Amino acid sequence: MVAASLSTMSPGSGVAAHGVRRSFGSVQAVADVDLVAAPGRVTALIGPNGSGKTTLLLMLAGLLAPDGGTVSVAGFDPVTQSYQARSRTGWMPDVFGTWDSLTAREVLTTVAGAYRIAPADGGRRAAELLDLVHLTELADQPAHVLSRGQKQRLGLARALVHDPEVLLLDEPASGLDPRSRVDLRVLLRRLAAEGKAVLVSSHVLAELDEMADDAVFLSRGRTVAAETIESAGETRRWRITALDPEALVAHLARAGVAYDVDPDGGSVLVPLSADTEAAALLGDAVRAGIDVVSLAPAGGVLEQKYLALEEERR
Amino acid sequence: MTGTTTGTDAPTPAQPTAAARAERGTWSLSWHGLRTVTRLELRQRVRSTRWKLALVLWVLVVALITGLTTWAFAVEARDSSYSGPGDPFGGMIYSIVVLFVLFLGLLVAPTLSSGAINGDRNAGTLATLQVTMLSPAEIVLGKLAASWLAALAFLVASVPFVVWALFAGGVTVLALVGTLLMLAVVLGVVCAVGLGFSALVTKPSAAAVLTYLTIGTITVVLPILFGLLAPLTTTSDPVRVWTQTSFDQDTGFAEECEWRTQVREVWHHERTWWMLAPNPFVLVADAQPLVADPDEMNDTNLLAMMQYGVRYAMTDEGAERNECWTRLGPDPDAPVEETVVTDRMAWPWGLGFDLLLGGAGAAVAVRRLRIPAGVLPKGTRVA
Repeated sequence: MVAASLSTMSPGSGVAAHGVRRSFGSVQAVADVDLVAAPGRVTALIGPNGSGKTTLLLMLAGLLAPDGGTVSVAGFDPVTQSYQARSRTGWMPDVFGTWDSLTAREVLTTVAGAYRIAPADGGRRAAELLDLVHLTELADQPAHVLSRGQKQRLGLARALVHDPEVLLLDEPASGLDPRSRVDLRVLLRRLAAEGKAVLVSSHVLAELDEMADDAVFLSRGRTVAAETIESAGETRRWRITALDPEALVAHLARAGVAYDVDPDGGSVLVPLSADTEAAALLGDAVRAGIDVVSLAPAGGVLEQKYLALEEERR
Repeated sequence: MTGTTTGTDAPTPAQPTAAARAERGTWSLSWHGLRTVTRLELRQRVRSTRWKLALVLWVLVVALITGLTTWAFAVEARDSSYSGPGDPFGGMIYSIVVLFVLFLGLLVAPTLSSGAINGDRNAGTLATLQVTMLSPAEIVLGKLAASWLAALAFLVASVPFVVWALFAGGVTVLALVGTLLMLAVVLGVVCAVGLGFSALVTKPSAAAVLTYLTIGTITVVLPILFGLLAPLTTTSDPVRVWTQTSFDQDTGFAEECEWRTQVREVWHHERTWWMLAPNPFVLVADAQPLVADPDEMNDTNLLAMMQYGVRYAMTDEGAERNECWTRLGPDPDAPVEETVVTDRMAWPWGLGFDLLLGGAGAAVAVRRLRIPAGVLPKGTRVA
């Protein structure tokens, strides 16, 4: 799938990494990563702690030189064409340091200045972004009074100051309250719709499920899978709960449906490959007189995929 | 899966920066970029209470020293039988205040820049500047300008006291301007050295220590070395000595003198004087107009004395000596060619050396801020 998107993606847009490696001393942080984040799509970068997500994003942002492999960001090589690549990339780090004594507005106007935006335009852009991340009321407070979530939102605004073509967000949702998470999701979808390539790293899969189009799984510094989230025909597990679990199990056995009784008790997991199958299963069960309470996908797509990969590795 | 779903396969978002897209390298500089970094740094400094406290303390200490010096010499002057114009110790008060301001400045300046890079790195704010369109040179020179301006604030705070000392007399306005300019440059050099170490080591305190060591080397170690090297630069030379052949038995004064050629141990300090030149105190002392004749210095002035000392060190003592001691001191009528202290200046050499040192500090910092980073120094992280 990666190969397919590499060939169809127009050159000079989005993010493409091929065989990227980077080690720190004897620690191989990134061993072999292939990744494509296409313009107009939100790509999730998924992996456990220490799988190399942050190192990879540092290389894509042009801060760290890869030991090997090729990287292209918005059509430029961050190593040889650092300035061109940087001017088109918005990067939001996982550890958010800020100039504590500056106000939120000053942080944004300073960054605008650093991106060579004229002061008047910079001021306007700062006001716009503060409004976008709902920090207008706190605009003239020093940044150190902001909560972690508010700082996180300021960090996102900072990454957007120069209207970049490529957005690299490292754990953007950590510390955000539920409302802000929804806002973040809506915002990222909107940015993608404007044609930007958005790459989001996280290990909280539920939040990525709802916003990502594609997913790249990293493990121990390697790409282990690259997926499109709404892929048709993909089998996923659904959870059925009934008032009488035994009757349900008996029904499924009679109907010849493969199933697992959830070790948590009470419910049954059934692999299904399409929504129509789920509807049919529910219809059959109800007609057979089973009192079905719920039928829903068990966990997110990403979570299932992630756990499946984990199992394969064991 | 297809890469583009929006239909526009080359997104063209509004680019406020389109005009400035020409490739810029590590050493690119722009007024805009410098101003952005300097303003950011100064804003943070001005808002820290620590800095204000240091400035207040500085003013108090300089005021105290100026006051005490003035008082001490006022008492001294009352007891002396001086009858010339102005305060007889005007030059002394002036030079003590200037040297003390320089001493304090050398103590404060390293702390102003030694955390500028590694401190930001530890706080996670350096990388956010590096990924912008600022060049490494702009970040470094912007930070240098900010720490230098902060150091100059200390200097400006001490100007009233230096001018006060000037009013005590004995020093020209030209000397004052030269002194202040040289003080400013020396502080800038110290800031640049501190910045270089700040980029090299992880801890701001370690960078401060290394800066103190560097400044200590040119201020203390080199002059000591100059002295210790004396045996190596001393040679046995034939010297023409105008010496006494007979003298008064009672007074010991010469009655008759003549030329004799003797082999003497001569210290050729004119070969190693340059070890004194980078010393900030020597720089400041030497960069004032030369006092025409040291014998006629009607008041003692530490700066003028240091200047005379350095100029003397630069001078070849010559191959003739006057050792004919008369009632009037060395025989004033002796046919001896007197050693004339050179009017060559030491400070351009010292200044050149110090500027190279500061330049090296800044260059090291710029090289360390280049991205993407290859090998990371031990213990540093990118963001």
